[in-house]
Amino acid sequence: MCGKILHKVKIYYKATFTYKILRMITAEIESFISTLGNIALLGLELLKGLKNFPTTFKAIMEQSSRFGISSLPITLSIVGMTSIIIAMQVAGEMVKQGAGNYVGMLVAILMVREEGVIMAGFAIISMIGSSIASEIATMKVTEQIDAIRVLKVNPVHYLFTPRIIAGTLMMPLVVIVASLFGIITGAVASNITSGLTYKAYFDSVWFGLSMKDLNVCLLKSLAFGFVITLISCSCGMEAKDGAKGVGLATTKAVVWSFVAIVILDFVFAAMFFY
Amino acid sequence: MGIEVKNLIKSFDKKVILDNISFRVEDGKILSIIGFSGSGKSTVLKLISGLIEKDSGEINTSGGDIAMVFQYSALFDSLNVFDNISFALQERKDLRGKYTKKELEKIVAEKLELVGLSGIEDKFPSELSGGMQKRVSFARAIVTEPKIILYDEPTAGLDPISSTLIEDYIVRLKNETNAASIVVTHQMSTIKRTADSVLMLYNGHAVFEGSPQELMKEETPYTKQFVNASLNGPMKMNA
Repeated sequence: MCGKILHKVKIYYKATFTYKILRMITAEIESFISTLGNIALLGLELLKGLKNFPTTFKAIMEQSSRFGISSLPITLSIVGMTSIIIAMQVAGEMVKQGAGNYVGMLVAILMVREEGVIMAGFAIISMIGSSIASEIATMKVTEQIDAIRVLKVNPVHYLFTPRIIAGTLMMPLVVIVASLFGIITGAVASNITSGLTYKAYFDSVWFGLSMKDLNVCLLKSLAFGFVITLISCSCGMEAKDGAKGVGLATTKAVVWSFVAIVILDFVFAAMFFY
Repeated sequence: MGIEVKNLIKSFDKKVILDNISFRVEDGKILSIIGFSGSGKSTVLKLISGLIEKDSGEINTSGGDIAMVFQYSALFDSLNVFDNISFALQERKDLRGKYTKKELEKIVAEKLELVGLSGIEDKFPSELSGGMQKRVSFARAIVTEPKIILYDEPTAGLDPISSTLIEDYIVRLKNETNAASIVVTHQMSTIKRTADSVLMLYNGHAVFEGSPQELMKEETPYTKQFVNASLNGPMKMNA
């Protein structure tokens, strides 16, 4: 008798536990699909509205200054330090092995193809993407976005279009400045740590870089800028339930943006350099 | 005609929030919607303003703009009072570029005067008290001369004197604009001072509809419980 009851309890417990796990997994999958769908829908609505240019140059310029000026110091610091570290790690060894003439090329290719764009992307996500997401999320939970709707203004046009256009256009500028800065700091670090001359370094840079590298770098930075701002706006719009919701939306925007640009980076590498 | 709502039904996640609600508000009249938190009062406003979609039923309005005053004002905190009030005139697709800067300044000054706040155009929402924010949101709501004004708990979080002031402005705006208005509220003072008619919601149903005077007569168990703020009665908090 006791055995039978114990057996039934075990079955019940297992069923409940399994149900809970399955429910958790299902909820995560639902949330993933829903977020992806929201991002896609927002992107489509934005692109659809672009033909009427539903924003103003003033709004775009305001957002652009936020992108360019605010994010540049942190982007330059990250890219500059990365470049110095690469140069310190490899320049000495390469000079010893008689490959000093390739140091500039190595740093430049790394900067233009990868480090400049991806590090600028990370800096923009941390500084601008999170700020956009929390701003939109706060507007959402304090009913400001509802107020915009009731006043018959489309929040996608008023709030998102200038941010996404600014993000898409400013990202290449930030990346160009950051990559140049990275190449220059690499030259200084190589010179100090291994005595490599500036002439040898920059000759190698010109030799190593191609127009294709620059074009792909620009294209990739345009895509990163678009995706980061789109995800940040979309995640901000998903916010609910007060301050906690704002925090969750911001975290989601940052995580999704990081993952998205790494995936995009892989896609670009596979498309152009494989 | 004002607003006419017929057999309105709305559910969230299979839970019926509004079940077959009907009412009518004429131009120049104020309907107060009362009831417990979660009884669907604000949902009615969101449905009329178009913020959410109804499941079924009819919402007919006399046309023109619908304005809404939100519970916590919902002023745009990154814009000053001038830009908040003139927002629709500056940003709405059909109105953008229609007004010169001077015309906008004149309109905003007029609306601010109407709510007794002249000369605060350059201030930001964070520099204003709760009552002032609410009045600025009134001014923002009426800037497009709406035919319908919806107030979501306009006196929530305000002291009694500020509440009285807000109630007076609700009546004043009704008289100035001749708009059909709906005021969602919990406060008896707001009902007494502003309402022409009252609708009480409970559990998704309309359990009372009549004048404020009829409400005060406490003729039904629902009105008796609400007016006396009693825990005993047909309405249960966790229902």
